[in-house]
Amino acid sequence: MSALGGSAPARPRRSLDLAIGAAITAAMAAIALASLFWAPWNAELMQTAPALAAPSAAHPFGVDAYGRDVLSRVMVGSRSALAVALAAAGVGVGVGAPLGLAAAAFGGWLDEAVMRASDLVFAFPALLIAVLMSALLGPGALNAVIAIGVFNIPVFARVARASALQLWTREFVMAAQMAGKGRFRISLEHVAPNLAGTLVVQGAIQLSLAVVADAGLAYVGLGAQPPAPSWGRMLADAQTMAGSAPWLVLFPGGAIVVTVLGLSLLGEGLRARLDPRAVARSEI
Amino acid sequence: MTGAPRATFLLLLACCLLILPGAAGAQAPGGTKITVGQPLEPPILDPTAGAANAIKEVAFQTVFEGLVKLGPSGEVEPLLAKAWTISPDGLTYAFQLRRGVRFHDGRPFTAADVKFTFDRDRAATSANAQKIRFQLIDRIETLDPYTVRIRLKRRFGGFLSMLGWGDAAILSPATAASDATRPVGTGPFRFEAWRRGEAVFLGRNPDYWGRPARVGEVVFRFIADPTAAYSALDAGDVDVFANFPAPETLARLARDPRFRVAVAPTEGKTILALNNRAGPLANVRVRRALSLAVDRSAVIRGAMFGYGQPIGSHYPPQDPGYVDLTGVYPHDPARARSLLAQAGYPHGFSATLKLPPPSYARRSGEIIAAEFAEVGVTTRIQDLEWAQWLDQVFARDDFQMTIVAHTESMDYDIYARPNYYFGYKSPRYRALNQALDETTDAGRRNKILGDMQRLLAADAVNVFLFDFPALGVWNARLKNIWAPTPVSLLDLTDATVVGAAGGAGAEGEGEAGAPAWLWPILILPLAAIGAWGAWRAGPGRVAARLAAMAATLVAASVVVFVLLQIAPGDPASFMMGMNADPKSIAALRHAFGLDAPAWRRYLGWVLGMLRGDFGQSYTYRVPVAGLIVERLAVSLPLTLYALVLSTTTALVLGLVAAAGPHGLIDKVFTVVTSLGVAIPNFWFGLVLVLLFSGGLRWFSAGGFPGWSAGPGAALRALTLPAIALALPQAAILARVLRAELLPRMNEDFIRTARAKGLSMRAALVRHALPNALIPVLTILGLQFSFLLAGAIIVENVFFLPGLGRLVIQAIAQRDLITVEDVVMLLVLATLAAAALVDLVHFGVDPRLRGRR
Repeated sequence: MSALGGSAPARPRRSLDLAIGAAITAAMAAIALASLFWAPWNAELMQTAPALAAPSAAHPFGVDAYGRDVLSRVMVGSRSALAVALAAAGVGVGVGAPLGLAAAAFGGWLDEAVMRASDLVFAFPALLIAVLMSALLGPGALNAVIAIGVFNIPVFARVARASALQLWTREFVMAAQMAGKGRFRISLEHVAPNLAGTLVVQGAIQLSLAVVADAGLAYVGLGAQPPAPSWGRMLADAQTMAGSAPWLVLFPGGAIVVTVLGLSLLGEGLRARLDPRAVARSEI
Repeated sequence: MTGAPRATFLLLLACCLLILPGAAGAQAPGGTKITVGQPLEPPILDPTAGAANAIKEVAFQTVFEGLVKLGPSGEVEPLLAKAWTISPDGLTYAFQLRRGVRFHDGRPFTAADVKFTFDRDRAATSANAQKIRFQLIDRIETLDPYTVRIRLKRRFGGFLSMLGWGDAAILSPATAASDATRPVGTGPFRFEAWRRGEAVFLGRNPDYWGRPARVGEVVFRFIADPTAAYSALDAGDVDVFANFPAPETLARLARDPRFRVAVAPTEGKTILALNNRAGPLANVRVRRALSLAVDRSAVIRGAMFGYGQPIGSHYPPQDPGYVDLTGVYPHDPARARSLLAQAGYPHGFSATLKLPPPSYARRSGEIIAAEFAEVGVTTRIQDLEWAQWLDQVFARDDFQMTIVAHTESMDYDIYARPNYYFGYKSPRYRALNQALDETTDAGRRNKILGDMQRLLAADAVNVFLFDFPALGVWNARLKNIWAPTPVSLLDLTDATVVGAAGGAGAEGEGEAGAPAWLWPILILPLAAIGAWGAWRAGPGRVAARLAAMAATLVAASVVVFVLLQIAPGDPASFMMGMNADPKSIAALRHAFGLDAPAWRRYLGWVLGMLRGDFGQSYTYRVPVAGLIVERLAVSLPLTLYALVLSTTTALVLGLVAAAGPHGLIDKVFTVVTSLGVAIPNFWFGLVLVLLFSGGLRWFSAGGFPGWSAGPGAALRALTLPAIALALPQAAILARVLRAELLPRMNEDFIRTARAKGLSMRAALVRHALPNALIPVLTILGLQFSFLLAGAIIVENVFFLPGLGRLVIQAIAQRDLITVEDVVMLLVLATLAAAALVDLVHFGVDPRLRGRR
């Protein structure tokens, strides 16, 4: 089969994805946790060095316009980025997965309703609604979570429903049905546990999208408020000084890229592990 | 699959030929022109109908004039009024008007126009920012066509000065109703065009009664973003900024021999306002402690980069009667802490600080929060949009601390209003204010003003920070341009340009942004593809698809409408600004139709849209449809450009990777696409700007010159943004393509063909690719709508006047109609793209066609 240079086994590269992704994600999470206890400087302390000083030994990522250390701010910013992403994904799974499960289990009007509702949400450009909701609810991390979470709900609902529908055709579920268990109990005891893998994979992907979305919202002024550091906001503040202080743009942006890369590699690696035959589809 | 694609290709080719005539249309600059950079766009152009300073900056002393003019130190000089007398009791003013003055529409200026204007300004439904003062007028008599007598209800020492402000500009009754969008005045410049969100164009008035303007044209370009302002000056797109929004670059500009820099004080008193009504802030000792905790020079250094003078009370240093009270509360954290302890807060307290959008407020807020932390006061910062700020802080007094600059001249009377947002109640101050109103003698006025300032400082009503500086920067070729008075900073009448005029970015004279040839190029290919797909799919399927779309659209419209109704913030309050009174706001709400019940407004909106009437923007008072079309002329080409870039890049990358799977190229491919998916498009945009415009200078840092500058220039401006948008999409597409191509390479028919001698490349392109396109098409369709909306943030990076910025500004200004319409348009685009993709599937996939 490999005479044409075709399908060499995909496993080696996929495991590499998983390893790298898991390593990066673990590192970012560790940094976020560590920043609760220690950072090279206080992230909010002004005038630790002349404003806009270039990277140096004392300040490896340089210093911003108020004299605050950029490395410390990037570290503390990872907290808000990961927290918002986790919360938004949590909202998506917490509300969306049960909806999808129920739709698959009971079918009928419930299924129709869930599908039409998710079609409706997908008809809206995600970013626009996030901006709209954040602007209307007011800025702040909580409202960013709501704005991004609203879009995760139909994503998880669809994924849960699709996988659940497949599971309902399997023998062990049929056996449970014949044994007289109700649909609700079957969903809870048999279908849901087997969904975990798919949901985790989708979760990693949605986490990576949520980090980008939160950075985008923070860039236009919504999201976590000052003086709490946030990567997107650091980029917005840096824009006017990008010419004279490029590190203000490169390091926070680099942090976003690394985090998103880690999360998406983790998701891809997990997906390959759990279902090697799945086509590489990603939700936009 | 041979006939139809060929036909489509020919159609596209025909469309491309349409570009050629348009390319010849680049315009040459005509006559001398001054381009003024204006950070804030005015909502209307009638200075007597709104509070925004921007209105006066653009339209007053250019298009409109008043009876008198204020000199550099506030001295009153004749303008439309040649001379005047004031009765001994100070209640009657008689003006002799200038003869031979005409409005821009040819009508002569007479006393009747003065009476009309001031009667309109003092009417109950007036939207004038000085309405309350105009209502001190008892009656106006026109004794003859050139004499006006005004009688006041009580003495008002500042009346004559007030007539020199923009709020007292003289209008003609024939054109007053349309002055908001098409101003007609008596001034040295005539209004020519207003491109919303971009610029206002004025031309010299050759029939001006006085000495005509020395330049032929004045263009006000709206640039709020500091980076765009700097690059516009640098590139010569803008000649002068009176309020340069990027103080961090001012030092660099001062050293550049091409520019002149000047800093002038303004009437803007920047204060940390405290809600005196309740809580710790009601205690004067606490307020004094806060004043001692703030280091004004640190705030000026950090927020304004050193520009601006500190103030100790609510009065600007350059006005007559100023008393320097900055020494009353020097920076003394120790004394602050002990005062707090005396007041009963030995461990400090916590409070919220609500900040409006401008950068001076946000930056000052951060610095002051850090200074308060040193004395034990914990500050929670909340950033608000203007609409939210006006609603929460200004209208409902729902705040503890806020930072804002009061830009009105002689507004000391706000401290005499007990229900003004900071809630200061002082009978002694009110008595002083009344005494001031009754005095016209300059010496006595200065003494009373001094007492008022001292009282405000002693009571520490607010923490008085600094006088907001006007940062003027202009191209050294401009002469006589900088002439600060209490009313304005630039003298556009006397200004001249030395040497060749016109820099890069010569503009057409205010035609609508989108030339006629643009739309066929954009729409026809899409329409052709859709028509072909519909023909293949058959009427039944098409009808079903359209029905589903319609149902979703209706549901979406309900969701949008409901969302926006529960939004806090009222468009009318936002427009009228800080000094509005409830009756004027109610009148404006009625004019907008905002007082009708919700269901009626919803039906009106939906039925209007079906008729093609998208309503009138609250902010700009023009049809929303026109606004949207102007912005689409930027967003649609940008989206298609990004789509083309991402598709071609993905095709090439995907094919190359599939040609040598698991080889070195493939490994590089994987790394590059993984990175590409992870890079946020707006950050990539910033990096591109750094590289290409900062470092290599191949592209400008942003902005859009307009299609009238020629398709070449327009596309160049869109190139970096399109690349930034295209990158993540290309990465996703490339991966999908490769994943689809690889399995197909192993199909029997390909192996047979290859065994017969077909090259790898031919096998890929002619056989594997067409079948792999189907899932790729699906993703393309989704990407189109994502790109159209995802451009929102990228437009911010490059300051493009597209749909994204329109909707963000509209949200901030509570221009609900525009927001609703744009969101529905984007929903329509998303649904249409999905439908188009479905239809094309029918055309492309023979397996689907069989099932009718």
